[in-house]
Order: sequence, then C-alpha cells, then structure tokens
Amino acid sequence: MKTPIKLLLCHHGTAGATRAEELAHVLAVPGTTTLVHCLVVPEFWAGMQGDDWLNNASTRDAFGDYVENMLENDAKRELAGVASRCKERGLAYQSVMRFGNPAETVLVVASEVGADLVVIGSPRKKGEEGLNSRMELEKLVRGLKCPLLIAPHR
Amino acid sequence: MVYTKKSPALLIIGVVVLLWGWLNAGGSLDGVQKSLQRSAYSDHMKVKEKFDAEFRVASEMAQTESKPAPDMKMAKSKFDEAKAFQTTMCYIFGGIATVLGLLILGWSPKEGNADYYLSIFPGMAYMLLIAFLVRWGLDPIFANWGRDAQPTLGWNFASIFNLNYVVLGIVIGIVIVNVFKIPDWAANGVRTARFFLKTGVVLLGALYSATELAQLGAISVLMIGVFVLGSIGVVLYMGRRMNTGNSMTAVLASGVGVCGVSAAVAAAPVVNAKAAEIAYTIGTILVWGVGCMFLFPTVGHLLGMGPVQFGAWAGTGILNSAQVAGAALAFDPHGIETLKVAEIFNITRVLFLPIVVLWLATWYVKHEVGAEKVDLGKVLIAKFPMFVLGFILMFALSTMGAFTPAGHYQGKYFSSEQIKEDKLLKGKETRAIEGELARLKEPAGAKQLQDHFTEKAINIGQRHATPEDAYKGLAELIANKKVSTREQETLLAAVGKMKGLDAVTANAIDKASKAAYHSSKTIGAFRDWLAWLFSIGLIGLGMQITMAALKQAGGTPLIIGGVVGTAKAVGSLIVVLLFVKEFI
Repeated sequence: MKTPIKLLLCHHGTAGATRAEELAHVLAVPGTTTLVHCLVVPEFWAGMQGDDWLNNASTRDAFGDYVENMLENDAKRELAGVASRCKERGLAYQSVMRFGNPAETVLVVASEVGADLVVIGSPRKKGEEGLNSRMELEKLVRGLKCPLLIAPHR
Repeated sequence: MVYTKKSPALLIIGVVVLLWGWLNAGGSLDGVQKSLQRSAYSDHMKVKEKFDAEFRVASEMAQTESKPAPDMKMAKSKFDEAKAFQTTMCYIFGGIATVLGLLILGWSPKEGNADYYLSIFPGMAYMLLIAFLVRWGLDPIFANWGRDAQPTLGWNFASIFNLNYVVLGIVIGIVIVNVFKIPDWAANGVRTARFFLKTGVVLLGALYSATELAQLGAISVLMIGVFVLGSIGVVLYMGRRMNTGNSMTAVLASGVGVCGVSAAVAAAPVVNAKAAEIAYTIGTILVWGVGCMFLFPTVGHLLGMGPVQFGAWAGTGILNSAQVAGAALAFDPHGIETLKVAEIFNITRVLFLPIVVLWLATWYVKHEVGAEKVDLGKVLIAKFPMFVLGFILMFALSTMGAFTPAGHYQGKYFSSEQIKEDKLLKGKETRAIEGELARLKEPAGAKQLQDHFTEKAINIGQRHATPEDAYKGLAELIANKKVSTREQETLLAAVGKMKGLDAVTANAIDKASKAAYHSSKTIGAFRDWLAWLFSIGLIGLGMQITMAALKQAGGTPLIIGGVVGTAKAVGSLIVVLLFVKEFI
C-alpha cells in the first residue's frame, strides 16, 4: 500500500475513533505522512434547546454558552490528546474542527486538505450507549475522491 | 455580524398575501371558500333566503302602496364575516410584509439593532403565512374529509385524531425543519415563536375572573405540587438505584418533573450536566411530549372530559410545557376554555421551576464530590419567569376594569343603561309577565315560588329570596321593559327557570337577562388574537423540534423518563377523573 502523505483521521473521542487512530498510526510514516485530525461537532447540537419557550432569554443564553463551552473544551481535550500521541510517534500533525453534518464535513475537509487516505472508526454496535450521530457512510463513500479505511471492531 | 439576509422572500410573501386578500374581497375565490367553509356557507344561504323572502314581501307591499322599492341591506352571514376577516388580515399583514420586503431588498443595514430587528420579520411572515394556510386551508379541508368519510368509516377521523389547525400547524413545523430545513432568511424570525406564545399567555391574563383564577390556582398548586415533587423524588431515587450519575439524574429530574425542555435548559448549567446527558434528557422529553400531544386530546374526547378536567390533566400529565398548550388547543381548537385551564397549570409549573432548580442544585452539591456551591439567590432571580408578571398585570388591569367594567366574567359585563331600544321587552311579552305575576300572587303560585327559591337556595344579599322579592322584580321588569340591576337579574333568572312557568314569560325573562349582558370588544379582540398568537407560536415551536434531537432519546434516561412520564400521565388522569369537577 502506498504511504499516505495526507492522512485524514476522523476522531471525536469514541471507542471507534480510538481504533481508527491506532490504525492511522500503523499506516502513517514519520517524516512522510501528515496526520490531519478532523473533529466534527454534530449539527444536532443547534437544536438542543428544543421547544423551550418558558425561560427568560438570559437563561437560554446561559444554557447556550454552557453547552458551547463544554463542547469546545471536550473538543480541545480530544485534539490535544491526538496531537500529543502524534508527537510521541514523530508524526506531523494538523487539526481541523468544524460544526455540521459529519459526512458532509469530512468530504469538504478531505477536499480542502487534499487527503489521500481517510480513516474512520466503525459504527457503534446496536444497543451500545452513545450519542446518535452516525456517519452517513454511503454519502461519504460516494463523495470521497480518495480511499476510505474503516477500522474494524475488536 | 449582519443578520438581515437580502432575499425577495418577504416581498413575495407580502404580495401573495395581498393578492389573496384582493381576490377574496372581489369574490373571485368564492368557489374555493364555499367548498372550504361549508357550514359558514350554509349559514350564508339561509341568511340570503330569508333576506330574499323579506325583500320580496317588502317590494310587493311597496308596489301595492305605489311606493319606491325598499332600500334593504342583507344581514352579514358567518361566511361574509369570515371572508371580510380574511381580507382585512391579508391587507394588514400583506401590506406590512410588502413594505418591509422592499426595505430589505433596497437597503443594506449595518450591524446593529436596526439590522437585528429587521432580520426577524421574514421569519415572522413565514410563520404567519403557514398559519394562514393551516387555519384557512388545511383545517377546513381535514374537517370536510373527516365528515365525508364518516358514513364509510363510522367515525370522524379528523375529529378523533384532532387534525385541526393546532396539530396540523405543529406537524407542518416539524416537517419543515426536518425535511426542507428552515430557510436562512427565516431562521432569525422563527425564533420569535416564543415571543408569540408568551404574549398569548400575557393576554390570557385578561380573561380570568378572580374566582376562576383562585379556584384554578388552588387545584393547580395542589396537583402540580404533588406530581412535580413526586416525580422529581422518583427520578432521584431511580437515578441513584440505576447509577445514572448525579448530574444526569438531576437534569433528568428537572425535565421530567417540572416543565420539560425548559426545566432541563434551566437546570443543566446549575448541576454541571454533561453534553451527552443534556442530549439524552432533551431527546427523551421531546419524544414523550410530542407523543402525549397527539394522544392526550384523543383520550380526553373518548373519556368525555370537559375543559377543566382536560386542562388540568394535560397541564399536569404532559412532561413538556409547549405540548401542554398544543394539546389544550388541539382538544378545544375553537374555544379557549381548555387553554385557560391548561395555561394556569403551565404557569404554576414555571413558578415551581426556580424552587426546583434550587432543590436540585443543593441535592447535586450534597451528592457530588468536589461540586461547587451555587449562589441560590442569583439562581432564584435568574430563573424567575418574567412573562408571568405580564400575565398578573393583565389580570389586575382586567379585574380593575381597564378593558371592561370591573367584575366581568369572561369578557361579559352587566349594564342596564347600555340596553338598546330593540332589545326592550315587547307588549306581548310584558302582558304575558303580567298574567304570570297575577297567578304567582295566588296562594298556590306563592307556594310554588317559595318552594323553588328554597330548593335552589336563592339568596338576595345575606337573606333568602321571598315571593315578594319576585313580585317586586317582575313588576319592575314590566314597568321598565328591562332588568335594572344585577340583583334583579339574578332573582328573575331563578324565577325564569321555575317549572310550570308560562313559556312566553320564561323566554321574556331570558331575553331581558341576555340584553343586560354585553360583550367587551377589547376582551373579544383579545380572544381572537390569542388563537392566532398561539397558532403562530406553536408552528414556530414545531420548527424547533428536530429529528436529530428526538433521536438522542435512549438508554437509562429513556427508561426512567418513560416510567415516570407514564406514571405521571396515568396518575394525574385518575386524580382528575376522581376529584376535578367541571364546576368553574
């Protein structure tokens, strides 16, 4: 297999993403590969105030700020973790953090950075707890112009 | 950031609405209106037939007497009134939308307040346009389909499933956000749905009598107190037993216990809820709330519940406050009695909110190692729902007589002075009363009156009513041809309901009573606007319910929410059926 120059790793802290990261480290070659870490904050968070109408604007703002800060801190923690592990292995590292639909965002980022390989984790098994924001694999496969590697379940 | 999107959308909405109003006024849409508003059109035909007959007679009489043809005007039918109302609404809102649409196209606002406020109008017009389509189009279409299918199905599906403008509006809102997405130009304005609902609740304050508010307030405090505190207690217990984590348990308790999503939004930052916990809770509440909004009105109709019982049940049993208003209007779309009851329960719930948030914050700090203490006073002030003050102010103004004479009941007030000439009793009626008065003065009549007053416990001030009071009241009615005081009206209304009373006399008393009560135009306008405000607000709120948020329901929170939500719905139904009577 050709050594990837720009490896796009989709990682947001789940078990599947951790396996994808491990696989990316196997494939990446220090000095040749740049690991581009793509972290997508799913767009469903925008509708997370639901149909609340009773609260004052200040309460809604406080909630919005709280959720935004929390998501940002979670994302920064993930980015820092992947960055430090790349450093340990001597891999060049870049990060991209976006808000939106996961599959659509990965397509855009892959095109922007000129990725020659995209690595993602396999979907969560049914019944496993976690946020319901699955990557639309068909959309991703149809739109990508480079190979896609899905890290299998253990 | 500049919020106003340069789009012709508002201008197009304005022109379309104006065009509808113009075509409607000119009669070009009469064919469509006739098929949509069948019952109003049937009333129109009756009024027209009556007018044609009267005109024919008057013309023949004029011809006989060699006089010119009479100048008669046909009375307005419900159909005419509905058409005129549509036209007025279209001209007002279409005109405003057209002007603002031109402004948006021709002016490039800079960042600031003017830009922000201008940016909300396209979204508001978008919701209003949907409200027009639903109220004037889909609502009558589904009602007609339901009636047409009834002979075949044996039941009216539109009525059983409450496919009226409220439910259809919310469904359309949900479909738009999930299938088509809210257009960028409308996104800012759609958020004003909350403002419409809050304004509706504030206006609603003018429609309660002090007695009503006291009775409903007492029931709601009791029921909400028991069920809110009870369900929070159960969630806290279940959460600890099922190891869901303190912040998860606390945010779920607030949402399931008090007023749904609003409570979760208020409590989440205070109890340091994690992102996933918020998503699970809000997903669970939304799934439950939307399900209940469709289920509750159908069950209410099947059980033959009245406005007070249904309002109390929906106000207690539905987890999410937005769906409480939706269910109340879905149950009773053409009146506001159920909404009035349900909203008192909603207000009671939201008044419980700051207290519950404080309780949960204290609980969280006690159970979570390393949790920071919260400023209780700050929380209490920040979470107090300001719009409730508007509701109280409107109630106070209304009670003091700002919109109609003080002491009115549901917008109706007593005034002898305002009785019009044509509403006075006619000779035939006063003669019938004279005859009955003479009969009631006989020993048998006097005994009949006395027994009736005793049986019905009729009082005048602090004493029991006597036959002499009735004689005096009837004599004054004959002399004045109208009732003069509220006390006289109360007494005579009781006489009018006595068994064995001459039918003409009973009808004359009823007519005199009705003539003395007047509807406040201001309160009447409030009632009309309320339905529109809630309709627009609920369409907008429907647009905030995304499938992505609904999909987050799951795991232990869904189990706890499901158990407590079901227990609350069934428990409050039993309590309502057993203890809440239609007495207000």
